[in-house]
Amino acid sequence: MIGMMNAQRPLILIIDDEEVLRDGCRQTLERSGYVVLTAGDGAEGIKLAKENKPDLAFVDLKMPGMSGMEIIEFLSKDIPDIILIMITGYATIVSAVEAIQKGAYDYLPKPFSPDQLRAAAKRGLEHRNLKIETRLLREEKERMERHFITFVSHEMRSPLVVIRQCMESLKAVAGDRFDKDVTDLIERCSTRVQNLEGLIEHWLDLSRIENGTLAQKKEPLRLQQIISRSVEEMAPICNERGIALEVNVPEDLFQIVGDEESLVRVFINIIGNATKYTPEGGRIAVSARNGEDNVAVYIADTGVGIPQDKLPFIFEPFFRAAGKEERHRGSGLGLTFCKKIMESHGGEIGATSKEGKGTTCTLKFPILHPQTKKLNHAPA
Amino acid sequence: MTKKKILLIDDDKDFLFATKLILEKGGYEVFLAEDGKSGVEMWKSVTPDLAIIDMMMETWGEGFSVLKKIRATDTGKDTPLFMLSAVDLQGPYQSFEPPPEFPKVNRVLHKPVKADDLLGYIAQALGK
Repeated sequence: MIGMMNAQRPLILIIDDEEVLRDGCRQTLERSGYVVLTAGDGAEGIKLAKENKPDLAFVDLKMPGMSGMEIIEFLSKDIPDIILIMITGYATIVSAVEAIQKGAYDYLPKPFSPDQLRAAAKRGLEHRNLKIETRLLREEKERMERHFITFVSHEMRSPLVVIRQCMESLKAVAGDRFDKDVTDLIERCSTRVQNLEGLIEHWLDLSRIENGTLAQKKEPLRLQQIISRSVEEMAPICNERGIALEVNVPEDLFQIVGDEESLVRVFINIIGNATKYTPEGGRIAVSARNGEDNVAVYIADTGVGIPQDKLPFIFEPFFRAAGKEERHRGSGLGLTFCKKIMESHGGEIGATSKEGKGTTCTLKFPILHPQTKKLNHAPA
Repeated sequence: MTKKKILLIDDDKDFLFATKLILEKGGYEVFLAEDGKSGVEMWKSVTPDLAIIDMMMETWGEGFSVLKKIRATDTGKDTPLFMLSAVDLQGPYQSFEPPPEFPKVNRVLHKPVKADDLLGYIAQALGK
């Protein structure tokens, strides 16, 4: 597999001041199918190497002008993946060790036979291919690690998406022949698959927070903007469920620092949660106020409330305060996500609740300029 | 009246099968391609009235290069082309927006596609 990385024949450069040796080597190597360039001194050799990027170079150690050691040092740094083999008339352990330290792969003591030369070239080129293959594999591995979560997400979600597409087709093709029971079954399957997709998405989000690829931005932010975006998003759902969604946020809130997109999702999650546990005719109120060194946002609902003994656990993964009623079913990771995002912002999340009266979720954000609060007043 | 022809390019056989049934139910003649290369070839040999192309096939964004190649053909200049994506619904983290100078995409559909939506968009694009 010589020359695997380049479809052409391997290119070998010979740098030696002895013309007879140069020509002898050239003939031997050309007969073995290599393309050969030769140079009589270091300067010419380096020039040729830069222009042609040879796969392998034989470099004579002792030459007038630039020494073989200097050439090896230069080429090993400047020509990617080049294999350097030192030719030496006085092969001592010391010079061999030095050449290898400077980046040579091997050395060939003079005098050598054509067979020895060919063997050295073959071995060197094989080593080069291994080296390149190793590097490519390492790069691929690093790329995989970087994109692992995205990759997993795609791989896990694809089959679920296809299952839902198949069920959609089933309805489209044969739906009018089905009893209500059958349609119901298909609907239930679709919903459960969709929930599983949501669960995977939330779980991956948590992984993204942990490996630092989510909520990375640290920009000055206005909470008003984040709250109004979230409320806009949730208004249709509240409307649909007959729940009033009220917002009472002062214009002079201190600025905070963070990642707008993930904070919007925190608010959407919490408001969404509130809609699940608030009966029709209920109310969800979002309010905010400046504290001593923080801004606090309150999301209060008039829902069923959470028993005191369960309150400490609501941010734990897969904990469910309410029963297994279907409309409450979420991924079980929504509030864990919120907690992690708040932690990554140096903030806090907490909840108080009265059974039968409702729950209030509190989010506290550290402010942008704790010492000079006036600067925090965002321009209206 | 002859049936309108739709080319569906996606590397998932099951997705092709499921979506083909919907399209046939809608009265179209459906052609399937399982990868970008054969999709482009089929475009040239079949000359469909509309094509639906998955964004992520063999490689990330393969669909875009297929779209480019189809738009570069004589028959592909003005034909409606839809793209399919299964990118995450939440947040901008995974969103795959075509670059600004990109050839025209008539519609981006998110997987899974509702049968009524799919047929509605196609009818609209074909000017029915």
